[in-house]
Amino acid sequence: MNRRPSRAARLLTELGVTLALVLVLFPFVWILATSLKPAELVADPGRWVFAPTLDHWREVLLRTEVPRNILNSLIVGLCTVGIALLVGCPAAYALSRSRRSGPLRFSILSAEMMPPAILILPFFLLFYRLGLIDSLAGVVVTHLTLVVPVVTWFLIGFFDAVPRELEEQARIDGCSVFGAFFRILLPTIRPGLGAAAVFGFVLSWNDLFYALILTGGESRTLPVAIAGFWTFRGIEMGKMAVAILLAVVPVLTLSFFVQKHLVRGLGGGAVKM
Amino acid sequence: MGLRLRFLLPLALLLTGILVYPLVFAGWISVHDYQLTRLSDIRFTGAENFTDTFRNPNFWNALGNTLIFVLGAVSLELVLGLALALLVQRLDRARHLARSLLLAPMFITPIAVGLLFRFLLNAEIGVIPFLLRGVGLSIDWFGPQLALFSLILIDTWQWTPFMFLMFLAGLESLPRSPFEAAEVDGASRWSQFLHLTLPLLRPVVLVALIIRSLDAFKVFEYVFAITRGGPGTSTETIQYLIYQTGFRFYRLGEAAAMAFVLVAVTLVLVFLLYTVLRRS
Repeated sequence: MNRRPSRAARLLTELGVTLALVLVLFPFVWILATSLKPAELVADPGRWVFAPTLDHWREVLLRTEVPRNILNSLIVGLCTVGIALLVGCPAAYALSRSRRSGPLRFSILSAEMMPPAILILPFFLLFYRLGLIDSLAGVVVTHLTLVVPVVTWFLIGFFDAVPRELEEQARIDGCSVFGAFFRILLPTIRPGLGAAAVFGFVLSWNDLFYALILTGGESRTLPVAIAGFWTFRGIEMGKMAVAILLAVVPVLTLSFFVQKHLVRGLGGGAVKM
Repeated sequence: MGLRLRFLLPLALLLTGILVYPLVFAGWISVHDYQLTRLSDIRFTGAENFTDTFRNPNFWNALGNTLIFVLGAVSLELVLGLALALLVQRLDRARHLARSLLLAPMFITPIAVGLLFRFLLNAEIGVIPFLLRGVGLSIDWFGPQLALFSLILIDTWQWTPFMFLMFLAGLESLPRSPFEAAEVDGASRWSQFLHLTLPLLRPVVLVALIIRSLDAFKVFEYVFAITRGGPGTSTETIQYLIYQTGFRFYRLGEAAAMAFVLVAVTLVLVFLLYTVLRRS
């Protein structure tokens, strides 16, 4: 395409992107400002100039359960992703290398589609009988239903992109199948593993539905705690802003590292379906 | 046992435990009068929960709301995502930075997004109504007329980035030669877009639409954070109704029946989407 875009077209493009950026970033700026606003000014939408205070941050970090909630979310997320990778990785490899894997790939995708509304009922009754209500173990089990299919789906896409010759060469060089898998293949798809792990972690970290029903008191995860900030009282809103930032900043930071791998992951096993 | 089978076995066992078994259990619940407040008295009632569901006006209302929500949100996200991808692709400078920043909303926990907009759009203390009043507009975002539409806009804010990401990747992987040929033939930009770009993007559109619609069907957090189904039942979505039925009123049997109908509706729609987009 050798037609140079005109100056006006370039200006319009930049204008459009800037508008989109303003719309996307405005809520972030607002929440940051709210977390720093003195409590008596929080409910005043016209106030943009104020002396920032760390009161809300101190309050949330020292005198609420939020640090505990963060720890809970972290434990649940790491356990879920660990199990998902352990189980999903070999399966994704096997699916990627099978010739007629279409139906199996589709069943992974349909597992991803299962609405939580249907799964929570049996899980709730089961955990009720087992005494797992208000425990993190129960949340991990339900989060596996979200994360395992996605992680497997992601990894199929990354294994598909590795040429078969690579492991055939390793076999000729005397590697066992397991040896080739662990020493040659897994290191090759390391970016994919990272992207799948981060995406799975974000899914678990962000879930409200399961955690809301299955946890209470000490076992509450961060989104459940955030959902508790439901009042319009200024002092609560400041704390809510802090809790939201604490939930958002870690995942945004993580996401910057994996963005470029996300697309292949999401497209996943669809190429050969 | 074949090697392939041994690699697949852990996943198969796990999925049986966490998906197949719960589904069967849910099926069992759905044909019983199963109430959490009367666990000692669970009676088999056959299809009664399903006939009750079909006769329940709240169910149809929630299903209607959910369909409007999914159609509205997903089509807005599709159009805006494509437009944004086309713009960013043409950007000469700071393209990567713009992309990274524009993707941010899709990584945030939806309950936080819901609460954020609950306050941003609140009639008394919200910044957006405050600014709109400055230009003489007074809009009640969460009133009976607009509440569902506002939820659609919030979903659009959070998930347009997903469509944008898919389209950007699709645009970057388009083959060059058809465009060069069209250029030689003197085709206009617009006709290139209509006859080359769009058809070539169809596989991306298909995957993006399916993933996004399935996800939109599960909408719960915005409703929970903002309207709790109101005003009246104007924003009650199906997932929220099931949550209420099962965990506020403890009628698990009825909730299970509703959930199965939801699954059936979702599957039919995905199948339709798939065949329509595959064929053309």
